[in-house]
Amino acid sequence: METLLEVKDLKTYFTTRDGIVKAVDGVSFDLHRGETLGVVGESGSGKSVTAMSIMRLIQGPKGKIEGGSIRFRDQDVLAMSEEEVRHLRGDRIAMIFQDPMTSLNPVFRVGDQIAESLIIHKSMKKKAAFQRAVELLDLVGIPKPESRAKDYPHQFSGGMRQRAMIAMALACDPDILIADEPTTALDVTIQAQILELMMELQQRTGSAIIMITHDLGVVADMADRVLVMYAGRHVESGTADEVFYKPLHPYTWGLLDSLPRHDIDEKGELCPIQGQPPSLISVPPGCAFSPRCPYAQPICRTDAPVLRVIEGGHAAACHFAGDPTFQRGVVDCAGVTS
Amino acid sequence: MTDKHTHDPLREEGHPVKDYRSGLPAVPPSSDITSADLSSTASRTLWGDAWRRLRRNKLAMAGLVWAILIVIVAVTADFWVPQRYGDPEGLDTSKVVERMLLEPSSEHPFGTDRLGRDIFARVIYGARISLAVGIVAESISVFIGLIMGALAAYYGKWWDTLIMRLADVFLAFPYILFAIALIAVLGRGYINVFIAIGILGWPTIARVFRSSILSVKENEYVDAARALGASDLRIMARHIMPNAVAPIIVYATMSVGGAILTEAALSFLGMGVQPPTPSWGLMLSEARAFLFTAPWLMIYPGAAILTTVLAFVLLGDGLRDALDVKLKD
Repeated sequence: METLLEVKDLKTYFTTRDGIVKAVDGVSFDLHRGETLGVVGESGSGKSVTAMSIMRLIQGPKGKIEGGSIRFRDQDVLAMSEEEVRHLRGDRIAMIFQDPMTSLNPVFRVGDQIAESLIIHKSMKKKAAFQRAVELLDLVGIPKPESRAKDYPHQFSGGMRQRAMIAMALACDPDILIADEPTTALDVTIQAQILELMMELQQRTGSAIIMITHDLGVVADMADRVLVMYAGRHVESGTADEVFYKPLHPYTWGLLDSLPRHDIDEKGELCPIQGQPPSLISVPPGCAFSPRCPYAQPICRTDAPVLRVIEGGHAAACHFAGDPTFQRGVVDCAGVTS
Repeated sequence: MTDKHTHDPLREEGHPVKDYRSGLPAVPPSSDITSADLSSTASRTLWGDAWRRLRRNKLAMAGLVWAILIVIVAVTADFWVPQRYGDPEGLDTSKVVERMLLEPSSEHPFGTDRLGRDIFARVIYGARISLAVGIVAESISVFIGLIMGALAAYYGKWWDTLIMRLADVFLAFPYILFAIALIAVLGRGYINVFIAIGILGWPTIARVFRSSILSVKENEYVDAARALGASDLRIMARHIMPNAVAPIIVYATMSVGGAILTEAALSFLGMGVQPPTPSWGLMLSEARAFLFTAPWLMIYPGAAILTTVLAFVLLGDGLRDALDVKLKD
């Protein structure tokens, strides 16, 4: 399958008064045509910054991509001029933002906003672009698209706005769709509709999706492959089956244990991971997860684990990953394992 | 889960088909659309919406009507005022004594001044000066202020520091004193009053516009536009400007009243419009001596200043609500 995007050892740092924030510190993944990659992690784990870096939306002087490479169809994205990147954005790689309430410009009609990228990238005339916007609104399931295209964003409900955002992102038929927590701001029934819509459109257009979320349920529904991030680092990646059924990294175990499950007949108590994610300015030495890891050994606090491929495409950054004696324990909510 | 797509023939063929372009039936309508959403009327524009909201604000409409009325009266004055009420500037020395300081009557609705000129005519001709000051001076302020504010907000860094400190210097001077100093340099006369008031007004406009741009810049739709591949120029012109300009419209409208007041004050102090040209401030100044003997000399120009300034302030206040797109109706 054609590889659309190759990200290798991406490092994006922000310089602040208090020090250097390593928001993304060594993330690698490939994305193939028609595939969905789920990027999961807690708030502040660098998911969004990864997405912004791919689109070169990290703005100086504070933020900078310090290392690694991003290749889109054999073009080096990091070496592109600002002009070249602009032709990539919106046209080949499009983004759906988290909050549909604030991502639409309040003073423009929804149809005009969808038409905008067609005017920018496809040099379409205003009228033709607006007509196309109406078709796109129809495509994303907005009833009466001809009249709704002439409405302003405040006349749309949250779910409809997110549909409009999706229509905007799809306007130029992009190869890659980056969805940055597209359902977080919506209520649960609408979430399901939006996700369903995205999957359906993906099947029709064959675009690849990078789904950024902290909702493991969304990932389980949609993703072919999963990338788990913690404190800006790439801790585990593999197919969705591998990550969900044979997770290798204690952080992933912790994430899965924090989920409510109906198939395990136990106390029914949720077990969150103890402690807080570290400040990205002073990530603990060694493994960033070691202070919270119930399995941590002395080596974890001194040496940073390297991301290793354990089997097939399943990789994890843990000293003990793949060790047959290193098994996920039964978690007690006191944080003790047996 | 990994094979969730395998039944899809499109994928197996390497997805050659972009079939949504051919007008496929869309995904079923979402149920997250309420009947209220569907009741929305057809095409509306931003300005149409603003106008509808403004129309419902009675005070703002009263202000608007009053402002329009004054404009009409001032513009058409040449065609009917002198014929009926006499020359507002001219002196008919032969009849000064019998025509001076007459009380309001049907012949002279606002009375006459000490030179026998009709106050009504002078108030109407004074409106010309006041409106001209309000509009011309405010346009100068807005023009300079928008450029300065935009430069400060877009280029930031030392541009920002330079322009904003310059604005601080302007604002630190006592306003009227600064205006008088400027006129002392430029010379008297109403053109110079326009220029002086215009120049003095820019710092506030620049500040308001700068902060407005800075706050609009942080909005997610600006990021979204950038992610769409829009150029900087396009983002500024289409996404930032239209959202940042509403406070300027509001502020400028209200400041028209302020400019009228300043002109009146300058003329009152003898630094503005020179006699015999009628100006509201000048008329007040001339009326001081007759405050108790002929109060109508002061009441009518004073009322004209009050109502006109109030009209613009009310209109500006109404515009603030009307231009707020987030206020749903």
